[in-house]
Amino acid sequence: MGSFAQARLPENYYWEKLPNGLEVVIIENDKVPLATIEIAVKNGAFTEDSNYNGLSHLFEHMFFKANKDYPDQEKFQKRTQELGAILNGSTGDERVNYFFTFDKDSLNQGLEFLNSAIRFPIYRTEDMQKERPVVDGEFQRAESNPEYVLYFACSKKLWGSLYTRKNGIGIHEVINTATPEKMMVIKNKYYYPNNSILVICGDVKHENAFAQARKIFGSWERSGFDPITKYPIPEFSPLASTEYFVMESTLAQTPVEMFWWQGPDTRMDSAGTIAADVFFTILELNSSKWQQALLDKGLASSIDATYVTERYVGPINIEIEPNPGKLKECNDEMLNQIKQWGNDDYFTDEQLKNAKEIIHRNAIRKREKPSSQASILTKSWCSSSLDYMTDYEKNCDKITREDIKLFVNKYITGKPYIAGMIINPDMNKKLNASGIFKPAI
Amino acid sequence: MQTFIKKITGFMLLGASISPVVAQKKTAYDMMVNGVKVIVQPSGNEIVQILTVFKGGVQNYSADKAGIENLAITALTECGTKNDSKNSFKNKLEKISTEIEGTAGMDFSTLTLNCINTDLDQAWPLYEDALTIPVFDSSEFSRIKQVAITGLKSQASRPDFAISKFSKETAFKGKDYAKSPTGEEVTVSSLSATETKNYYTSILTRSRMLIVVVAELERDKIEKMVKELTASVPEGKKIELKRYNYIPAGNSFAEQKKAVATNYIQGITSGPQPGSTEYNAFSIAMDIFYDRQYLEVRVHNGLSYAPQVGFSGGLTPYTIFRVSTTKPDNYIQVINKLVDKTHAEGFSPEEVKNSKTGYVTKFYYRMETNAAQASSLAANEILFNDWHRSLRINEDFKKVNTEEVNKAFNNYVKDVNWVYQGDTSKVNPALYSAEPSKNKLPDNKISNGNKN
Repeated sequence: MGSFAQARLPENYYWEKLPNGLEVVIIENDKVPLATIEIAVKNGAFTEDSNYNGLSHLFEHMFFKANKDYPDQEKFQKRTQELGAILNGSTGDERVNYFFTFDKDSLNQGLEFLNSAIRFPIYRTEDMQKERPVVDGEFQRAESNPEYVLYFACSKKLWGSLYTRKNGIGIHEVINTATPEKMMVIKNKYYYPNNSILVICGDVKHENAFAQARKIFGSWERSGFDPITKYPIPEFSPLASTEYFVMESTLAQTPVEMFWWQGPDTRMDSAGTIAADVFFTILELNSSKWQQALLDKGLASSIDATYVTERYVGPINIEIEPNPGKLKECNDEMLNQIKQWGNDDYFTDEQLKNAKEIIHRNAIRKREKPSSQASILTKSWCSSSLDYMTDYEKNCDKITREDIKLFVNKYITGKPYIAGMIINPDMNKKLNASGIFKPAI
Repeated sequence: MQTFIKKITGFMLLGASISPVVAQKKTAYDMMVNGVKVIVQPSGNEIVQILTVFKGGVQNYSADKAGIENLAITALTECGTKNDSKNSFKNKLEKISTEIEGTAGMDFSTLTLNCINTDLDQAWPLYEDALTIPVFDSSEFSRIKQVAITGLKSQASRPDFAISKFSKETAFKGKDYAKSPTGEEVTVSSLSATETKNYYTSILTRSRMLIVVVAELERDKIEKMVKELTASVPEGKKIELKRYNYIPAGNSFAEQKKAVATNYIQGITSGPQPGSTEYNAFSIAMDIFYDRQYLEVRVHNGLSYAPQVGFSGGLTPYTIFRVSTTKPDNYIQVINKLVDKTHAEGFSPEEVKNSKTGYVTKFYYRMETNAAQASSLAANEILFNDWHRSLRINEDFKKVNTEEVNKAFNNYVKDVNWVYQGDTSKVNPALYSAEPSKNKLPDNKISNGNKN
């Protein structure tokens, strides 16, 4: 055990920082005889300028291609089949993670396999040429979905010149011209033990799991620098003004609207991130003014208000499927409700209490699946901290009406936002959506 | 790739993680209560998952009433009960963070209760009311009908849903599986509250019901709860579920022009009936074929991000191949060649062995949640008349040999009903509807699958 500060963690969680800076967390849970291993790296859209936008994601795909021990994808795939592994990776705004689940007795082999892939990848031009259209195909699938098209348009406006820092799927041209050299640039900037966390969870014993982690990953050389300090992340500019826009798409069978604000983040306003979660849980209550005004009255068929906890400005989003026959009423009522969000009587004490109870019960549900615990933990590690994760419910309990008012007034009431609608051309013409969709006077 | 921003709120409570001691499973059992089979799997955790299943699915209604079962099941929780208005019902549920949710499927529909065990005594009466004394309030019904219609349009906007629907409508034309449980705009629009209520009354019989409980509850308590629940439910006529074997008459192709950013292709072919001797072998065959298609289509030829192979083993079993690609004609040549090659050379013993190893992982992976266990128990009971299969599938798969896997593949993967949505100028229909052997790629364009 190194001389590092111990993170606060739940029962049956064990933490250690190896001398090379790799944090290792073992989660003991013998519900089923499986082990899940996950490695997460502080990489993703937030590290990408317009020259590299989409390449953290391509890098993640290349992880599954070739390395010194499994020199082509067939051999890589065959090894996963021998292990009987369920595996995947994901690239988000602030995290790239790779995860494998297999029989508990295969832990050592699984860790060796992960080690080969994360530390010793091989990038060949021919492999990349084949993978580029695959990644681009993932992009095209997203572009075939009107909801994504609207999301992307809103995102560009919300984040302005730094939108690439929230656009993990990237830019077609950057993906289609990526080279092995660019992959090495990413590896040499971010893929170090001191920028990564390894989680082993399931039917394992922590002493044995730590020993294996030390033996296999202990020789991974640290960078000698903190990548996020050396390659600093620029700050997003606050949104200057509210903007409404309507997009037409023949694919959009029914209109969808999105409203976006820049919200708090865990660096600058950790309490605001917790208040946001509690407030949006209140809005999910059937008894809330929000649900009663919009869903109960039939103005919308679905409405989701969410905040995403991030280290570098988390977005606040409302996504709504309005009743096409009541577009104007829906839009007016929604803005009317938002205006009231900061009022003293917008929710009752009982609703605040119920929201906190829901957060507790949802936490019980989230703990149910052992193999998902690794990803829950690494998300917090990348976007907040392990302490944030451990103390989350306790801190939700502390949230008061004043905390919520502070959050609403600081980030939403009277603040600029982006509002977008996607609708098919015929419906737009018939309903005069472009004429209706605008801020209240 | 996390393209859409998703809420991550997975946090753990200090000092309250699942205890390994209580995680030890007790044995599952079944019992008959008022003529209804109740399957119970003790869970070893604090979550309660209860399903009430209504057998029949799309067999229960005609095509012009498609969507009626979905609307009826939705109304149970959205249109009030004799004891509570919709809002009163939902407000009581949210105080205990309990979810009661209906789902209409192809072979059966379910009303699910999910709560924390300390809340069960408050949640159960609400669940019982929803099932036995729903009121189908007409203004609430109008609201959920509008939501259902918007939902249909929203589904149709999603390319994966759209190609799947088009594919099933084409392959199963005139058969039960051509119906979509969520219905069509025209069929849902015509449904009234009274008609839907009468329909629900017709399927609310003990003969159609199955109850699955995955929770840490005493047997006596479950028995008492189900007795109360079923006391007023009529016996009803005995239900015989119809099974249909889908066999395409030949290769066929249908297309729809659509302005999507890529093109979507889906093929449907046959599959063995649940309970047949070939079922497990075919499941392994398709598991391996998934990997082979992935290797050929994505890795070697870079033709698609997510090439899919799936075996839907329901009352009308069928197999799908699905891709999105900018080069549709290249795809059909690669897949046809791969099918031919697999017919000719079969799968290797090593592939079969590895697939079985993977099933062990998948088996336990499913055991991680009460919800997945309950769904599996229900599906095995309805489709195989044998819920025990859910718990021994791991052992059953070990008995399958390579010869059986190859035979199953050869018997069921023959002709394919292909459909296409996208840029129709990019596709040559003749390549899809011809005999696969006439579309051969040069041998150097196809690899040896996983045998290297």
